[in-house]
Amino acid sequence: MVSEASRPIAQGLLPEDNVIGWILQLIWIAFFFIFMFYGQRIQMRIMLKEIEGSLLRLKLMRDKGREIAISTIKEIGKPKEDPAPRIDRFLEHVDIGPVSLDPVGIIRRLEHIIDVRELRFKDEVRIMAPEADETQMNNLTNVLEAALALNQIYKSIRHYYLMGKKTLSIYIIMQLQMILPLVMKECEAFANALRAFTLGQPIGDGVGALVAAKLMHGRKKRRIAKDIVMSEVPIEGRTAYVIKAEGPGGNVGKPGEAVRRILEEKNGKISLVILIDAAQKLEGERVGEVAEGIGVAIGGPGVEKYKVEEIAAKYKVPVSAILVKEDIGDVVSTMRKEIFDAAEVAVERIKGIIREKTREGDAVIIAGIGNTMGIGQ
Amino acid sequence: MIILSVEVVPPKRIPILLMILVFIMLVLSVAAVYQAIEAYRNGSLDLASIILSISAIVLSSYMIIQMRSKPIKLGFEMYDVSTTIQCDRCNYETTRKFERGDYIFKEVGSCPKCKGNLFISSIYREVKEKKRKSFFASSI
Repeated sequence: MVSEASRPIAQGLLPEDNVIGWILQLIWIAFFFIFMFYGQRIQMRIMLKEIEGSLLRLKLMRDKGREIAISTIKEIGKPKEDPAPRIDRFLEHVDIGPVSLDPVGIIRRLEHIIDVRELRFKDEVRIMAPEADETQMNNLTNVLEAALALNQIYKSIRHYYLMGKKTLSIYIIMQLQMILPLVMKECEAFANALRAFTLGQPIGDGVGALVAAKLMHGRKKRRIAKDIVMSEVPIEGRTAYVIKAEGPGGNVGKPGEAVRRILEEKNGKISLVILIDAAQKLEGERVGEVAEGIGVAIGGPGVEKYKVEEIAAKYKVPVSAILVKEDIGDVVSTMRKEIFDAAEVAVERIKGIIREKTREGDAVIIAGIGNTMGIGQ
Repeated sequence: MIILSVEVVPPKRIPILLMILVFIMLVLSVAAVYQAIEAYRNGSLDLASIILSISAIVLSSYMIIQMRSKPIKLGFEMYDVSTTIQCDRCNYETTRKFERGDYIFKEVGSCPKCKGNLFISSIYREVKEKKRKSFFASSI
């Protein structure tokens, strides 16, 4: 006789002496075998469903981005004909980078491609929005770039999703599912950027330009490079050449070119170059935290960064960096108060660095890097 | 009018496979409770099966509640953006809602106090961080 203590647990849970118990037993066994042989396939289906949900969201974001771009161009640009077909064509724009097989002169070639791209975008906007002024045109270019980014992200995610579905490769699906949260975060940032660009509000990326604008406010300005203005500002007994992109339209200009020109104009007689830019914060760091360092704090494709590194190395000028920490979502959305307040902290840090690292009568370059949308000078 | 305020928010689609699985789990757990009650009526109390089946009911009910169709959040949120106007001579300062065409250091007329120049000194949005009280919250 089997004792009560030695009775299997399953029998206690699902007694075998009735029909329901048997059915339940069979269901559990069926479940066991299904999961044993089709577990991975089920997991893959669940992952595909999850990706499909995000893809649907991306599609809606893309469509809304397109809608916003069309309505903004119609409102600001007052075009005579419907801009939608032209915008649709624009959203399919492709950039082809320079060949890197022979890296000699790649920066020059990359710069040329970037210049052509910018020119093409502005020409397109000019045709789409004939009534827009220079500031509005720069902002509209930014709107279209954000809509373009949303479209491109949507299309590449859709490509990998369809490829994963077609090949039923768990590795493609898994990789896609793993990067999806970061992709969605980036897309949300672009979606919010569209709103800020449409209204011409200052964005988080513009904190460097804001610092420079605070320093040069009320001073005489002159254009030193493409879309870059410069002011001579006395700070702590030193002469500071403060540069920033020309606002208030959405613009980054060519700060590297401006630094090169100033250094060459002054025959390298500059004691220090300070660059202020927004930097992506690490998780756990506070938004608006100000950090100091050395090196060229210029983001983007690297052309402007290269120019500053090259000229600073030529004249042996030290380069300092001041970074304002921001989340990826804050960089392209309307400037947060914490970031605005950080600009004042950065100004004080600049003064501190100048006092410590240079002597009275020296000359320094202060470059505020970033998109100057919504920031005058 | 720019289509910023009109948010197209279709309801979220519920995965059919997940829904079927959750319903099967709910049915099985209800059947298990029934079994346990029957066993109790016959004089044997099987505490383990009661606990397990009730937990399964709670879990599947929770999943059903979670699956309710929620609107899709697209971003494109409308923030409250403030514009601060300041006088360059006296300490006059006023804050209003952002208006199209505003930009930092834009001159916006003369001061009502001293007739100095008024300019926009700041444009920003304030974010209220949601602090969630969690049992597992760490001090890192």
